[in-house]
Amino acid sequence: MMGGAPFYEFGRFGEGTSLVIAVLLGIAFGWFLEQGGMGNARKLSGQFYFTDLSVLKLMFSAIVTAMLGLFWLSWAGLLDLSRVYVPETFIAPQIVGGLVFGVGFATGGLCPGTSCVAAATGRKDGLALIAGMLAGVFVFGEAFPAIDRFADSTARGAWTLPQALGLSQGTVVGILVAVALGAFAGAEWLERRAEHPARPMKLAA
Amino acid sequence: MTTDARRRPGIERALAVLAIVGGVLAVIAGSPARPTRGSVDVTELARIVEHEEDHVTAMELARWIRDDRPRLRVLDIRADSEFADFHIPAATRVPLAEIARMPLDSAATYVLYSEGGTHAAQGWFLLRARGMTHVFFLRGGLYEWLEQVMNPRVASTTPRAQRDSIRALTLWFGGKMTVVDSASATTTPSVLDGELSAPHKSDTRETIRKIRRRAC
Amino acid sequence: MSDAKAAPYASPYLAGVGVGVVLLLAFVLMGRGLGASGAFSSVVAAAVNTAAPAHAAGNAFYSGYLTDGAANPLRDWLVLEIIGVVIGGLASGLLARRIRWTTERGAGITDRRRFVNAFVGGTAMGVGAKLARGCTSGLGLTGGATLSVGSWLFIIAAFVGAYAAAPLLRRAWR
Repeated sequence: MMGGAPFYEFGRFGEGTSLVIAVLLGIAFGWFLEQGGMGNARKLSGQFYFTDLSVLKLMFSAIVTAMLGLFWLSWAGLLDLSRVYVPETFIAPQIVGGLVFGVGFATGGLCPGTSCVAAATGRKDGLALIAGMLAGVFVFGEAFPAIDRFADSTARGAWTLPQALGLSQGTVVGILVAVALGAFAGAEWLERRAEHPARPMKLAA
Repeated sequence: MTTDARRRPGIERALAVLAIVGGVLAVIAGSPARPTRGSVDVTELARIVEHEEDHVTAMELARWIRDDRPRLRVLDIRADSEFADFHIPAATRVPLAEIARMPLDSAATYVLYSEGGTHAAQGWFLLRARGMTHVFFLRGGLYEWLEQVMNPRVASTTPRAQRDSIRALTLWFGGKMTVVDSASATTTPSVLDGELSAPHKSDTRETIRKIRRRAC
Repeated sequence: MSDAKAAPYASPYLAGVGVGVVLLLAFVLMGRGLGASGAFSSVVAAAVNTAAPAHAAGNAFYSGYLTDGAANPLRDWLVLEIIGVVIGGLASGLLARRIRWTTERGAGITDRRRFVNAFVGGTAMGVGAKLARGCTSGLGLTGGATLSVGSWLFIIAAFVGAYAAAPLLRRAWR
């Protein structure tokens, strides 16, 4: 069979150890988020006005890193990809939920994970956002019996892009790397333009 | 705001090159999973049977089909007429005798099923004897498929995440999940009662399932 | 900014690669990715369960986050991960001298207005994340890296929603 990873899936350690790992991975996650400036709502909100696209850069760097890592570890036989959890697809709720989430993101200036970093570094707006998140989850919980049918609709299971597009996994990985690098180049251009607004005007004239 | 980060152009460029190389090679490599090969001996077979690693549950098979498990071959060894009446999606009909001589793909995963479980178990031995390593049979046969995948009965007290996962699977195959109150769910055998759940069932695996379903 | 002593932030690409390595470690060690909003759900479910156990048990959403009787619903992988995030963020902020008891907002609004915005935004994200079954971490990062179709739909929808709302909120940040 395939190699040893994911270790927990193959019973290499128990639940207690898994919870210690949760804390350690969380510490590293929080550390890098703070290092990247994700605990600062002013910096994050620059994403929505094309002045500071750190959110896009950080998020896509992370996705590309983990995606390439998964692909090559699996290729080398060190990790059984079929045992790695793929978030399940529910088309309609995820599109509607994403839109609502996005509006909240632009309004609040932080996302659930980064609000914890903001609060940890003393940002009071981070605390207000955490309180709002808890309220939102409560609202959803109370409304759940009424919207249960919609929330469970258009289920597609662990549906992946290679399956949906009919391409090999490697091709999808390659395309996403190209898209991410293109987005990074675009982000750099937008930031330069925001810093020197005279330049594009000259180009336009 | 753009100048408040310490940029490292050299390292960033090196990482970009690394990503390009990794991405281009991934396109060439195509599939990340490489076929595995192995040899079989009689003691090994006995061990597998004893440890009940020889079969899949209907729910597992349903996930494999839905998730498009690479090189999955589902073989129906019932009569032609029965196959025409109803069969598991993605299945092909193969008479038991044919299994002894049909061309095989050593990288494939074979799953056999019959009406009950007996014929499929015999087919399992044939395929193992022919050197196939990834061979399973549906222990409860087509009955198990109909009960667990097409018409599962789930107790209303079942955690939502688990219910979601079962409902999603059932809907995918065009079946219908019924939510029943816990009293009647315990009198009717259900996939959640443990009787027919995962073959390598252990507390750890159950815990994993539970926490993994909650991605976020 | 007034925090002259604070160290500059790291390159977002390098911080992103750092997060990516952490995410990959989660896949390798646990077979699952990172998350955030699930921890909020566990906290809310535990609170509702303490205040009104019968109500929580009768609601399919809460009961999904409540473990069978004995175990504490807060003894959960994501809850502990988020506790870690707070510790890690604090440690990084301390080392870089970036801890400030302050409110991040644009010059055009008051602190009070910023708190209202943060609370309302948080509420919308709470509802949206639960409807979508994840947030920027659980769907965005985890689903993005595992190539989940729904996750990529969520990422696109979230950016569309944010860019649609942003022009109305310009004053809050400038």
